[in-house]
Parts: sequence; structure tokens; C-alpha cells
Amino acid sequence: MSNAKIRLVGLNKLFHTRFQTIEAVRNVDMEFAAGDFVSIIGPSGCGKSTIIRMIDDLIKPTSGEIFIDGRRVSPHRRIPPEVIRKIGFIFQQPNMYPWMTVRENVMLPLRVFGLRDPEWARHADALIEMTGLREQRHAYPTELSGGSMQRAGVIRAMVHKPDILLMDEPFGALDEMTREQLNLELLDIWRATGKTIVFITHSVQEAVLLSNRVYVMGTNPGRVVDEIAVDLPRPRNLKLIVSDRFAGYCELLTGRIGQVELSQIK
Amino acid sequence: MTTTTARQTPPVKGKPLKRKTEPICYIAPIILFVAVVAAWALFVSASGISRTILPSPFAIFREMSKNFVRDILPHLLFTLRVILTGYAVAVPLGILIAAVCSQYRIIIKATTPLIILLVVTPMITMVPLFMLWMGFDSKVRVIVVILQATPIICLNTLTGFTTTEGAKLELMRAMGATRLQTFVKLIFPNALPQVFTGLKLGCIFSTIAAMSADLAAGKEGLGYRIQQYSSLIMTEMAYGTILIVALIGIVLFQIVVMIERRVILWVR
Repeated sequence: MSNAKIRLVGLNKLFHTRFQTIEAVRNVDMEFAAGDFVSIIGPSGCGKSTIIRMIDDLIKPTSGEIFIDGRRVSPHRRIPPEVIRKIGFIFQQPNMYPWMTVRENVMLPLRVFGLRDPEWARHADALIEMTGLREQRHAYPTELSGGSMQRAGVIRAMVHKPDILLMDEPFGALDEMTREQLNLELLDIWRATGKTIVFITHSVQEAVLLSNRVYVMGTNPGRVVDEIAVDLPRPRNLKLIVSDRFAGYCELLTGRIGQVELSQIK
Repeated sequence: MTTTTARQTPPVKGKPLKRKTEPICYIAPIILFVAVVAAWALFVSASGISRTILPSPFAIFREMSKNFVRDILPHLLFTLRVILTGYAVAVPLGILIAAVCSQYRIIIKATTPLIILLVVTPMITMVPLFMLWMGFDSKVRVIVVILQATPIICLNTLTGFTTTEGAKLELMRAMGATRLQTFVKLIFPNALPQVFTGLKLGCIFSTIAAMSADLAAGKEGLGYRIQQYSSLIMTEMAYGTILIVALIGIVLFQIVVMIERRVILWVR
């Protein structure tokens, strides 16, 4: 219990619009062990994006508690700087600043965190090299393909060496082939760095391929309906996708999500 | 890790995105200008219109080249100094006011009507009052320019400062950036296109304001000259001076456009 990297206890979030109050998240308990790769899956509107935004203090929970490394960070007024430095956030869209070159974009967190040591710049260049963006490092983001831009988005979130990566459907906007490629690259990064990854997705296959554990969420209100451990061998590759066990997990997950949606119709 | 990217660009730092302009685009304004002058000359000679109403462009050119250095140049320099001094104050002032206002919604709401009021107030209507308070000093004219140019610069810049995309702001918040960091690294560069719109309008407004001040009072400046030539029925010189004023506006505008192209490299 205590060695969890991130722990969410009884998290609730209400959004007030002009006409109604939406219960985005109800009574969510989650736990992410250090070095774990956990996915959160569910239909749109189930509050999965809201949850990782609450972890990163982009959204304040209405009630409940968030612990990072055993330290309670919510409902503080603002997440302490030393905690926020442990987190890298990857958005659904690449979210590059168009007036900065690719390298300047990747180095942005170093500037904001005031990490001026040349060692950090070398680390940034190493990440750029690793993702094959070296030739394009002085280009503007709009000159890059969607896949390359999202690669830059991923290494930007890693440049300050955070322990935790929060990924909000990072490859959802990419085509199937680029997505698979980036999934494999992400697994390589995870194996090499041992970061704690919380991965939001609406793709069952992606969740099974990547994670150790999957939280299944339902809507109205957004809540956790199931938690499934994915016991497949590592390192994983695309061959795994055609195996029976992989198909079994996909079926199980699809079934759980389906049940959630059926129960809503009733 | 492998790369799947095929597109490659030469590693030139901050290389501007390709902006292909056909040669025709460069000569098009000249062609139009020549056509307008030709049509004008043709109209004057065909209609036999009086030179006191519309002189021919050649007559204007003849008179101007005869009198320019002695009668126009000192006034040109005077007015130019007024415009540039006022503009040089209005640019940082407008941006600064916008930066301060943009920090709090309540200030934006409170100040916007006031800024618009200043934008739409033709300063020519205020000049006699200023003269009454401060005399005929050239400083008064500079103040008129500042008052006319600052609000339009401020208004455009403020629009830029307050229309930052939500996801871009979220990235700054995800890094725990301070207000100052967010402004310097995100809000200001993101607003640069609108800032430059403000700067371009600002130099036009500055020119107009300097003319207003000249016309209202004083014995110096191009506006004063225009008025004098009109009353002396030196129509060619009056038109010629108006063209000089237009030229000032065009040149200042183009200078800002050139700077904009060197600063905003990322827009296709």
C-alpha cells in the first residue's frame, strides 16, 4: 500500500455547466506501483482524461486525495514544484509551440525548470537522436509528419527525467501503422528507463499490448468498473498480437467494456 | 529505436519556412501605380478639368521637383520626427498596457471600452484643446501621435495575449510554470502575429495623427504646408504634399512588414 508511486483515494469530480452538474468521476480508487505500466480504458466521457489531469494538478478534484511517493498532493492549493518535476505529461495532440524549432520545443521543460547545466542539453540531444529526429531538430514542428511530431511530444515530456509519464491517448490521432510503431518504441523506452506510466486509451489492443494492468471505466458517472491484470510475457512485440492469449485478453476487455455500455442502456 | 521519417530538412537553425513569391507579385504594385497615373493624366487632359480642382500628375511632379528641397523637405523632416518619436513611445506603451491588462479578466473587461473609445476618437478634434493647455510646442504633436497610436496597438496586442490555445496553456501548467514564464515563453511569442498587426496599424495611425496636429495649428509640418498651399491655390503643391504624406505611411508600413518577416519565421 505504502510503496505505491501514485495512489488515488476516493476521488470525485463534479463539473458545473450552466444547465447541469456533471459527475465526471465518482469515488475512484487507483494505485500505480513504481515502474508499472497501467492503462485506463473506457468510452468517451468516462472521466479517464479528468483523472490524469487531476494527478498532474491541471484539474482540482472536488473531493478525495492524491498521493505521489506517499506524499499527499491534493487538495493542496498547488502541487509542489519538486513533485511536478517528477511528472511528464503527454497530450493527445503533439501540442508543439510552432514558433520554436523541434529542439527548442523538446528543451522547453529544461528552461521552465531552470535546468541550465549543459549535461541536460546533451540528454535532450540524446533523446532526439534516439527517436530519429536529429535531421529535423532545427525544423519547425509544422514541417514534421504527425508521427514525428508526437515523438517530439513524448521526449519533451521525458527531457527532465521524470519518474512518471502521464499519457492522454497520445497516439489516438495517428494512423494504425504509425501507432503500432510508436507503441513499440514506447515499450523500449519503458524497459530502458523503468518509468511509471499511466496510459489513457480507447483502444483495447493498445491497452493489452502495452500494460501490466488495465482499469476499465464506465460513464454516467465516470467510475472504475473493473481491474484486469494482463499476464503476457515481456518483452512484447507485434507477433504477440496474433497469439491466442492476446486475443483472449482483448475479448475479455471488450466484454467488460461492452457490459458497461449494456448496463447503461437498461 | 528506428526512424520512419522520410522527410528531411537541412539543419539550418531557425530557417524560415519557404515563402514562394512569383516575380509578378513584386511588379504588380508598380504596374497598378503606372496604370492609375496614366488614367489620371488621360482623364485630366480629356475632360479639360480645371487645374485648381485636379492638376495633372506631370504638373504635380514638375512643381514638386522645383520646390521640394526648399519648401517641403524641412517640413517633411519635422513631421517625420513627430511621427517617429510618437510611434517609438506608443509601441512599448501599447504592448505594456496590453500585457498588464491581460493578466486579469476583470482588467480586460474594465479597460476594453476605454481603449476602443480612444481608438475611435479622432485626435484632430482634441488638438485645439491640447494646444490650449500646452501651447504650440512640437511636444503637443508628439502627444497627439501617442494618444492616437497607443490604443490601436494595445487593442490588437491584447487580442493576441488573450487568445492563447487552451492546450498550449495546459502544457505550461503541467510544468508548473510561473506567470512570468508563461508570458515570456508562450503568451508573447504566440501573440506576435497580432502584435505586428497592431504595429502596422500603429504606424498608419501615427501618420494620420501627426497630420491632424499639423492641420489644427502651428507654423510647421506637412499638414500646415497642405493647408497653406490650398489657400494659395497652389493645387499642384497641395496634391504633391499629400502624396508625400501617403509615401511616409507606405514606407513606415513596409518597414514594419519587413521586420515582421524576419521575426515570424514559422508561419507558412
